[in-house]
Amino acid sequence: MKITINGKVCECEKGEYILQVARRNGIEIPTLCHHDGFSGQGACRVCIVEVVEKGRGKIVVSCVYPVEKECEVFTDSEKVQKQRGMILALLHKKAPGSEEISKLCSKYNAPVIDRFVEEPENKCVMCGLCVKACTELSAGAISTVNRGVTKEIATPYHEPSSSCIGCGSCAYVCPTGAIDITQTLSERTIWGKTFALVTCESCGRVIGTKEEIAYAAKRAGREPDTLCDACRKKQIALGFKAIYGE
Amino acid sequence: MKTVKVCCGTGCLANGSMAVAEALEQAIEKTGAEAQVQCAVKRTGCFGLCESGPLVTILPDNIAYYRVRPSDAEEIVQKTLLAGEIIDRFLFKNEKGEKVLSQEDNPFYALQEKIALRNVGRIDPESLADYLAVGGYEALKKAITMTPEEIIKELEVSGLRGRGGAGFPTGTKWRTAASYDVFPKYVVCNGDEGDPGAFMDGSLMEGDPHSVLEGLAICALAIGAEEGYLYIRDEYIHARKSISEAIRAAEEAGILGEHVLGTDRKICFSIVRGGGAFVCGESTALMASIEGRVGEPRAKYIRSVQKGLWEQPTVLNNVETLANVPYIIAHGGAHYVSIGTEGSKGTKVFAMVGKVKRTGLVEVPMGATLRHLIFDIGGGIIGDRPFKAVQTGGPSGGCIPESMLDLPVDFDTLKQYGAMMGSGGMIVMDDRSCMVEVARYYVQFLCGESCGKCTPCREGLKQMLAILTDICEGRGRPEDPQILEALGQTMMESSLCALGKSAPNPVLTTLKYFREEYDAHILEHRCPAGVCKKLTAFRIDPDKCRGCTACAKSCPAGAISGTVKHPHSIDPDKCIVCGSCREACRFDAVMTEGRKA
Repeated sequence: MKITINGKVCECEKGEYILQVARRNGIEIPTLCHHDGFSGQGACRVCIVEVVEKGRGKIVVSCVYPVEKECEVFTDSEKVQKQRGMILALLHKKAPGSEEISKLCSKYNAPVIDRFVEEPENKCVMCGLCVKACTELSAGAISTVNRGVTKEIATPYHEPSSSCIGCGSCAYVCPTGAIDITQTLSERTIWGKTFALVTCESCGRVIGTKEEIAYAAKRAGREPDTLCDACRKKQIALGFKAIYGE
Repeated sequence: MKTVKVCCGTGCLANGSMAVAEALEQAIEKTGAEAQVQCAVKRTGCFGLCESGPLVTILPDNIAYYRVRPSDAEEIVQKTLLAGEIIDRFLFKNEKGEKVLSQEDNPFYALQEKIALRNVGRIDPESLADYLAVGGYEALKKAITMTPEEIIKELEVSGLRGRGGAGFPTGTKWRTAASYDVFPKYVVCNGDEGDPGAFMDGSLMEGDPHSVLEGLAICALAIGAEEGYLYIRDEYIHARKSISEAIRAAEEAGILGEHVLGTDRKICFSIVRGGGAFVCGESTALMASIEGRVGEPRAKYIRSVQKGLWEQPTVLNNVETLANVPYIIAHGGAHYVSIGTEGSKGTKVFAMVGKVKRTGLVEVPMGATLRHLIFDIGGGIIGDRPFKAVQTGGPSGGCIPESMLDLPVDFDTLKQYGAMMGSGGMIVMDDRSCMVEVARYYVQFLCGESCGKCTPCREGLKQMLAILTDICEGRGRPEDPQILEALGQTMMESSLCALGKSAPNPVLTTLKYFREEYDAHILEHRCPAGVCKKLTAFRIDPDKCRGCTACAKSCPAGAISGTVKHPHSIDPDKCIVCGSCREACRFDAVMTEGRKA
């Protein structure tokens, strides 16, 4: 089926999300809580668009809005600009420490509302991607805590978590760099817990924390890795070479 | 045979009605009344007029007593049961000052029409026999001989709409769920009633649990479900016990369970205890909670009737909606549709509380005016003070001013004015309620009860609360109303669920209808209602003060001085602005004035 986005006719499947269709067609829609690796959350609301069906316009969230029938989509209508501007203005006060948010604010002309109270230093916008990553890819060590305006992301009781494996997936997917992760040659610290790093037996490059490697091995049902990606490829190549020659 | 019914709804229980029931039983035993006149005490659900509890009704004489204490039991047994004598002081006094004998003569009851609450207060909720005696489970017996199409058709004809607040047509919901050929399907009863001041669902579950189960079972037959859940907030201890006992009794009697009414249909219900999060009253959050996940709503672009509980077709209905279902099946949709207004059929239960003389549960046909509810049934404002506003529909509703009291209350009318009927909570306010503070209260409530998932609701509420707190404490700025309106607009249009979308209603309606109060706070640093402490100073008008000393006696801070029969005065340095003096004064001599913050 076909829908039009900002006047451009786009082919799509029934049930596909507007965000997917737009991105495939090179139409930009800003997002914070979306990651291609996970299902949509509809939490940050930055990806709102206006959908016009049968002459009636409504604001929907493009990351979770499935295309069911032909419609017109506007990613930058006056209504979208106004609501998205306010949402970004709110996020800017929530996370004044985030450069990403500041950039989005200026790109999308978000109003500066001095009247709003600010959370100094904070960078987290509560998009929930870190929790999703930790739950789906890793050990489920972090979660949202509390509800309402006091909601936050934390380990149980704010203590170093016994289930955290230090994989850093949470920090990797965080759109605003809000999760503290520090690393030296031999150690990684995240969520208040310090992990020893394992290095590649061949080249000495860091391949991950001991817990992370063990976890991956368990899920894959094989022995823990001792080589980095590059060295493992090299080793496999050598194996092939031994069998098939140059 | 005389029956002494004692109201054991939550309100009367809190007032000691259980002790009243026990005292009556003891008195009957002690006096040997049973041998003489055959009598028994029956503990029932809520009678409705909670304000005048504990309530006792004596049948068949149909005598209604109010404010009965355990110490009155013996007198009631001796005089009324044995000697047939009416005890005047327990009777209800109407507006004209006349004592009335029966519930039917009491204007609070006389003007009601009970469908959802038809059995509440009439039967012993713990007795299946009682329910069967009033025609209970007859609708289920009828429904099991009907095809799903016939059941759904009956619901559609009735025009029943969801009583939880949104008003979605129940028949349509059932039809859509029935149309999916995906099994298992589920039925869910939403008993997570959370609006401040609303208690109709709790009273229904407590007082007539089988009606709710029967409605849910009919729904299960209509859509082809075998399993159902009753999600009951854990604070509703009595409702949970009552429903739990009702499920057990109905299963034991073969009405529900593996073989419904002796057929090969299976319908099994279980209770899920809600953890007390307001947002879990939202259907998708409720389902997440049943599944054991965090109670957060999801986007409803794909509806629960298609993919609900565990991604299976699910119908979720509110308690009151379900209580109407057996009535509709038994009496026919055509009868039901004759009650109510064009778009809203049947009756609605309201929990009327606040500054109204008669508080309690009221059921009237849709389309009754607010004035009828508050003044005719509720008896008007306490102390005959001026009416200021009524807050309808809980935190999602709005504040309606006096000029709109003649609007009919149904699903659609109040929405046009920014308020909503919602689930039927109704908080009446007089001139001593500050509308800015009311808005602030609701926003504060929602700040704690929003799930916190989406930005507009979580961050919007937080900023709204900060601004409203500033206004109430004298730090308001002239541009604040405009910012609140813009924020409200964004929350309404781009929040994820109905909680966020309707969260700004209390703020937007008070801004719309009580703007002068905001202006008084912001521009004049004055709280006209004398509620916001930092903007209020109390003063005694020497011309009105009669020197009765009531204010001085009530003042907890010892700030009032004066001698008997001479005007009193308040020491502003000692005054803590609690308002006790104003409440105590019978001559309206305590004035409020602004105070520079």
